[in-house]
Amino acid sequence: MPITEKHDNGYDFKLCCKPDFGFATVQLKANETIKVEASAMATMDTNIKMKTRMKGGLGRLITKESLFINEFTAEHGPGEIGIAAGSTGDIEHVYLDNETIFLQNSGYVASSPGVALETKWQGFMKGFFSGEGLFLIKCSGVGDLFFSTYGAMIVIAVNGDYIVDNNHIVAFTEGLDYSVEPIGGYKSLFFSGEGLVTRFRGQGQLWIQTRQVPAFSSWVHPFRRVESRSSS
Amino acid sequence: MNVEFIHRPGNAAARLTLAENESVVAEGGAMISMSDNIEITTSTQQKAKGGFIKGLKRALVGESFFLNHFKALQPDAEVIVSTTLSGDMTTLELEGNRIIVQSGSFVACEESVDMDLGWQGFKSLFSKEGLFWLNLSGAGRVVINSFGAIYPIAVNGEYIVDTGHIVAFDETLNFQLSKAGKSWVSSILGGEGLVCRFNGTGTVWCQSHNITAFGRSLGPQLKPIKS
Repeated sequence: MPITEKHDNGYDFKLCCKPDFGFATVQLKANETIKVEASAMATMDTNIKMKTRMKGGLGRLITKESLFINEFTAEHGPGEIGIAAGSTGDIEHVYLDNETIFLQNSGYVASSPGVALETKWQGFMKGFFSGEGLFLIKCSGVGDLFFSTYGAMIVIAVNGDYIVDNNHIVAFTEGLDYSVEPIGGYKSLFFSGEGLVTRFRGQGQLWIQTRQVPAFSSWVHPFRRVESRSSS
Repeated sequence: MNVEFIHRPGNAAARLTLAENESVVAEGGAMISMSDNIEITTSTQQKAKGGFIKGLKRALVGESFFLNHFKALQPDAEVIVSTTLSGDMTTLELEGNRIIVQSGSFVACEESVDMDLGWQGFKSLFSKEGLFWLNLSGAGRVVINSFGAIYPIAVNGEYIVDTGHIVAFDETLNFQLSKAGKSWVSSILGGEGLVCRFNGTGTVWCQSHNITAFGRSLGPQLKPIKS
């Protein structure tokens, strides 16, 4: 099970303003590098230099995540960098020690260079119907990983079976088996308003979020102006 | 049913713990996660209470047409419920009294609570604020949500609340919808629209923010719908 505390070999960092407006401040040692999701850097010292790298290639493109991860390196001495995700919500940290975590595709915020990121094909049945895109980001290796939610975060220790609405999944540890299914029969599938859920099986840890972006988007939709075609 | 709130007040969620064979009724779409030992049924009504027509009435008021019933098959079953917009949640206890909840604020209730719909008449059509109420009666616990913070106000005498800020109120209170200003023109142009004038003794639960006002502030920023 990955630990959430600061690790001696990891970054010196602070998480503040949880759970509604999570923000991470990382103190980089001289020549230390951090990988940050494009646009997530909020503040930094002037001796930190940014390099843009294509990571994950085509896979990242398909997950609708931005194609770019930026690398920030403290040159000529230590430096501080502030990182926040785009949407309001919580931020969480884990230290991976040759462990693997799967992230929902918009949850990635930042990580150590020692954490390898790959997009993972979920197979048609698992991914296609889930509404959360076809891919999860597989994060593995050694180092720190920061990820974010829309809304607050709830950590659930899974022991046995546990069911989560697809849009509320944030991350889960490797070793949990999972499958996408309708909830409570076909009447519920179409009418319950719950859509599809993921059933997790086994032992592991699961992070879920208390709000979801798709529901918010569809709530906003009726407030859009209506423009007639002829007048435009 | 035991209710534990998580991460109040910004993006609150409620963890409902059920004893064996205990049931909770939740609005469609409210469930975010649950343990495996729960049976779900979807219906247009509360069991043995009302029916299709009640479901239809709920759909008219913008509530989900369907209700989900979560029944615990084993002890210590849990369901976590939340809502769409950011904000707080709280519980109301019914002990034979009646409470009226603004339709969008209802999240879940024990099955012993009876739910019916009230419509506040022709006047509310003008307000665009979806002035529909759920009449809750019986005995049991109800979970409601608010947009922003939620705060109770003890009314003794008269009190005025903007309709967009009402979450729930005791049925012991009389109320009258009226315009905020002196004339309809000034009320509508002034952006205040309708207010609710409460009268009597009881509690009104208010929310700090107005959902319709928030939606209207976002609308013009978005790409228009081509018709």
